[in-house]
Order: sequence, then structure tokens, then C-alpha cells
Amino acid sequence: MSDRFNYDQFLNTLGAWFLGILWFLPIIYAVWTATHPGEYATRFDLLAPLTLGNFVDAWNAAPFARYFLNTIMLVTFILIGQFVLCTLAAYSFTRFSFPGKDILFALVLLQLLVMPDILIVENYSTMRALGLIDTIAAIGLPYIASGFGIFLLRQTFKTVPKELEEAARVEGAGPIGILWKVYVPLAKPTYLAYGLVSVSHHWNNFLWPLIVTNSVETRPVTVGLSIFGSVDQGIDWSIITAATLMTSGPLLIAFLLFQRQFVQSFMRAGIK
Amino acid sequence: MSFLSKIKVGAGAIALCGLMAGNAQAVDLQFFFPVAVGGKAADTIAELTNEYAAANPDVNIDAVYAGSYQDTITKTLTAVRGGTPPQLSVILAVDMFTLIEEDAIIAFDDVAATDEDKALLKAFYPAFMENSQTGGKTYGIPYQRSTPVLYWNKDAFKEAGLDPNTPPKNWEEMVAFSKKLTKRDANGNVTQWGLRIPSSGFPYWLFQGLTTQNDVILANNDGNETNFDDPKVVEALQFMVDLSTKHKVMQPGIVEWGTTPKAFFEGQAAMMWTSTGNLTNVRDNAPFPFGVGMLPANKRYGAPTGGGNFYIFKDSTDEQKKASFDFIKWITAPEQAARWTIATGYVAPRPDAWETKLMKDYVADFPPALIARDQLEYAVAELSTYQNQRITSILNDALEAAITGKKDPAEALKEAQKKADRILKSYR
Repeated sequence: MSDRFNYDQFLNTLGAWFLGILWFLPIIYAVWTATHPGEYATRFDLLAPLTLGNFVDAWNAAPFARYFLNTIMLVTFILIGQFVLCTLAAYSFTRFSFPGKDILFALVLLQLLVMPDILIVENYSTMRALGLIDTIAAIGLPYIASGFGIFLLRQTFKTVPKELEEAARVEGAGPIGILWKVYVPLAKPTYLAYGLVSVSHHWNNFLWPLIVTNSVETRPVTVGLSIFGSVDQGIDWSIITAATLMTSGPLLIAFLLFQRQFVQSFMRAGIK
Repeated sequence: MSFLSKIKVGAGAIALCGLMAGNAQAVDLQFFFPVAVGGKAADTIAELTNEYAAANPDVNIDAVYAGSYQDTITKTLTAVRGGTPPQLSVILAVDMFTLIEEDAIIAFDDVAATDEDKALLKAFYPAFMENSQTGGKTYGIPYQRSTPVLYWNKDAFKEAGLDPNTPPKNWEEMVAFSKKLTKRDANGNVTQWGLRIPSSGFPYWLFQGLTTQNDVILANNDGNETNFDDPKVVEALQFMVDLSTKHKVMQPGIVEWGTTPKAFFEGQAAMMWTSTGNLTNVRDNAPFPFGVGMLPANKRYGAPTGGGNFYIFKDSTDEQKKASFDFIKWITAPEQAARWTIATGYVAPRPDAWETKLMKDYVADFPPALIARDQLEYAVAELSTYQNQRITSILNDALEAAITGKKDPAEALKEAQKKADRILKSYR
């Protein structure tokens, strides 16, 4: 019995280490390449000279400071919008009955099946009709009513015991009060997990922002990053890895800092 | 106030408006450009655009970086369908038929008013114009144009006992040289391949070099008929496959574009076929002396052209169209074309650009820059048809299937021709 247990644990540990290293390899390569001169990109030499020149070159190749600001404004705007809208929608789908509720919810689920890229032309026309072309709002608006977010929060809200809601009602709380005092606090892990997925998705989104914006004042970091992917000329790995580390750095650091909370929230929210 | 004085005031106001408008009314142009050769090209475009704007205060040009070629056509078509097209854009020459079909662009003949303007349409190399004209009209002005050339490592040639100053002239020589240049270690693993012809993403482009050398064209000028199953095309593909399987001088399977220059610098391949867009990169980064030559001949010399043209968009005012044309005239003029070529390695698209002092000094210092120009004499239009994206992806799939050994070249190309016929039938 105890032998069998050890065997299992050994395999688990081995598997975890293997996957961990596999996941980490590209980042190690990126760090190595970014901190050494170009000629060491494909050659490993412990004594190779270290340099930060690649980061300086990458930083100077595009107005990254402004791009970072834009990206941060964008993901914040999207996240707040999604939280407000998805919370209200999920709440009404969970606790209220109204005509057409099932059809509406089916439509929300249908959104999960549609690739956003198919809607690019349609979204562009809508943004133009709203006069929003070349604004940060135009990048974010199509994503605010997130079917995934509504679905996820609805499932979480459904697990909240009715008794808690009834108790709150006895205490005199109205529908909004119940949402704010009962549902939202209990769904915190879901919010955290969904927030992480949303922020990292929109941090990395490229095509739609490129299409709907034209100026430095509105474009996110991914558009700046794309300038290094020059096929005609061959790719300079040192600079592209430096730029990639730079643009994904804030996300990576945030993840490492909040790692424990994230992992726990994923486990509680049931997305794996 | 009498009726008459009212009119006077009104007239005065109108006149005033007219005056103010005369001063402040600048034509606004939006200009999308792709970058396929790194950040420096974007800087050069911005620099040239600013210079033009400074000299012409009545025109505002908003130069918008639009990603890769693929991103640029997506962005532009989205904007066209959404009703806010740019006034002008640099887009792949091969997307001409797509843009015509979308009714997005106008012919330059419609804005070329004077004799001088009309002469401009004849100022460029004919090889570049093949991709820019159809039905007797000119839809594109060549700008960001390239052609593939052969780069070779002179040190590796010396080491293999070859003359470092003589590149292979034909297919047999290329195979023979490559065999000498391919080095294996004691275990039989290759440490240096003789040749590298990249094939990832868009294998059709360099493959078109081989078919042209085999004296066959892949598509007609009207863009509605392809020749994929011609025996000469099959022969060219068989040769490409043989380089890895029979002669064993090229890395088998799909060879990456992006890493090709790096592999050349690292000595993993002694010769490479790649775009002239790499010239400046190779010059700056190759740690050994290198040579640049024309692609080797078989039945004839041959290479496709590539790269982007200027297009003017339909949904603009007449002033905007005229201003766009004036800007294109300026930026493609010999002096500016020379600066662009020196900064990027693209081929200056008109003969008189090579006569400027700037360019003469450049080639005197760096003669390999001339190779691409000299090869233009043998160059043909890059594969371009109606439904271009679909047709090229059919051919790419067939080439990949043959290169990876999934299908026999003849069979793969026959299927590709059948699929292409089905799509192009309605355009004949």
C-alpha cells in the first residue's frame, strides 16, 4: 500500500517537473537571447558577454511608453466594463424569470461559438457609425458583453444557496443590495480567474486593435511588437526576444506576485 | 437694416469664409504602409512623408503603420467595406486583382492628366509593371519591390575548393557545388548544408524562381488561368524535392524563412536563396565575406518579382486623388527611390534612380546591390490571379505536400490545377 503511494507521488512529481521545465524553456531561451549580443542567439557559451543593448534598441524602435499606457488603459476599461455588464446579466439569468429568458441565454451561449475575427468588418462598421474609429473605446467595446463572462458568473451564482439570499431579504436588502452583499463577495474567486483570462487575452490581442486604430495615441503594445516580425529581412532573435520580454513582463511579474491567489481562484472557480 | 445691406453682409461673410478656407483648407490624406523589413523601413517612410509635408503645407499626410503585408490588406479591406478607406496605401502587387474585384481602387490613367504624368507610367522597369497593369490600365505604381537572389559564403567556397568569386550558373552547377559544400561529421550528421531555399508560409515565391528558370509561367496575364500541372512545372518541383531527397544537399522538410539569414550567418548553409530585402541585413551581420548572384539558370535565367505597389482608393474626393498621385510621384522620383533603396535593400523600381549620384556612390561602394537590378531583365510577374489568396494557398499546399513527401509532385500539382480551375472558371 505504502509502496504504491510512493510510486504515484514519484510519477506525479516527475510529470510536474517535466511540464514545468517544458513550459519554462522558451522563457529561459528568451532571457538568454535578450541579454546577450546577436551572435550568441543560437550558441550557448556561459562566458558570453552580457548586454542590455537589445532592450535599449527594442525600446527605441517604437514609442513603447505610450503603447504601454494605452494597453493598460485598454485592459482596465475592458475589465471594468465586463465586470459590470456580466455581473448584471448573470444575476438576471440566475435569479429572475422573464419571458424569453431561455432564448436570450442560448444567444449568449451562441456567442461562445463565434470567432471574433469573423465579425471584424461588422464591428468596424458599427464603430464607424458610433464615430469611434481610432479610439481605445473602439478596441474594447466589442468585447465588453462577454458571453464567456456571463456564462461563468451565472454558473457561480447558481451555486450560491437560496437561504443566504432569503436571509438577506429578511434583513431588508433589495435586489441590488443582495447582488452586492451576497453574490459578488461569494463569487470573488471567479472574478479573479476571469479577470486574469480577460486581461491576458486583451493584453495580447493584435489584429483587431491594428485594424481599428491608426495613431500612436491609441495603439497597444502588440502593434509596436509586430514591427520586429519582419519576414523579408529575417528575424533578429535578440531584439525580438528583448521586446517580447519587455511587453509581456508586466503580466509575468503580476502573475508571479499573485500566483498563489490565482491558482487558488482557478481551483475554486472550476476552470482548469 | 435694408434688404440690400443684408445681402452685402451675407456676401461679405461668404467672401470671408472663402478666404479663410483658402488659407486653411489642406487636403487630408491617410496612407497605410506595411513593413516587412524591420523598424528602419518604418522610420524611413515617416522621414520621407514628413519631408513632403514640410515642403507642401497644403497637404496633410497621416502615414499609418499597418503591420505585415497580410495585416495591411486585411486592415485596408476592412476599412473599405466599413466605408472609410485610406486615400492611398502600399499593398502587395499580387493583391491588385483582389482590390479591383472589391472595386476599391482606381486606375492611375484616370488621374494622370498631363503628358508628363502619362510618361511616369512608363518610367518603371517592365518586370515590375507586369504585376501593376491589367486590361491596358495601370493600377499600381511600383515602390517596395524585391526579387530573390543567391547569397553565398565565400569562406565556405574556399574551404570546399571552389572559386570564391564564381557562383553556380545553372542547376547542374548548383547541385555539384552544393554537394561539395555539404559537410557531415563523423556520425553522418550534417553540420553545413550546401543550399537553403526557404519554403515556409509562401513556398510558391521561390518555387516560381525554379519554374521561370524552367521556362514556364504559372498564370496568365489576365489572372484567370493557371498552369500548375504543366510538365515543366512538375519537373521544377521534382528538382526542388530532389535537392533534399536525392542529392541530399538541402535540409529536408519545410525550411523556415525567418531564420534563413541567421542560419547563413551561423554557417549552417553555405548558399541561400532569399529576397534582396535582406541585402542590408546580410551586409551588416554576415561574419564572413559573401557574394550575391543571380539565381542559377536552367533553360533560362529567371526569378519572380515581389513586394508592394502604391494604390489610390476610389472612395475619395478628386482633390484627394490628385494629391495622392502628386505624393506618389514625389516619393517614387529617382532621388527618393534611391534613398529608399539604400535604407532597405529594395530594388529601386526605375532606371533613372540608378543614375542619381546618391545611387552611383552606393553601388560603387557596394556592387552586389546591382545584381537584383540586372536580374530584372529576366524577371517575371509574381503569381497573381483573381481570388489570389485562395489560388496561392492551393499551390502552397501542393508544394508543401510534395516537399514533406506526403504526395508525389505530379499528383500534388494535378490536384492543385483542378482546384484552381474550379475557382477561376467564372472569371474567364
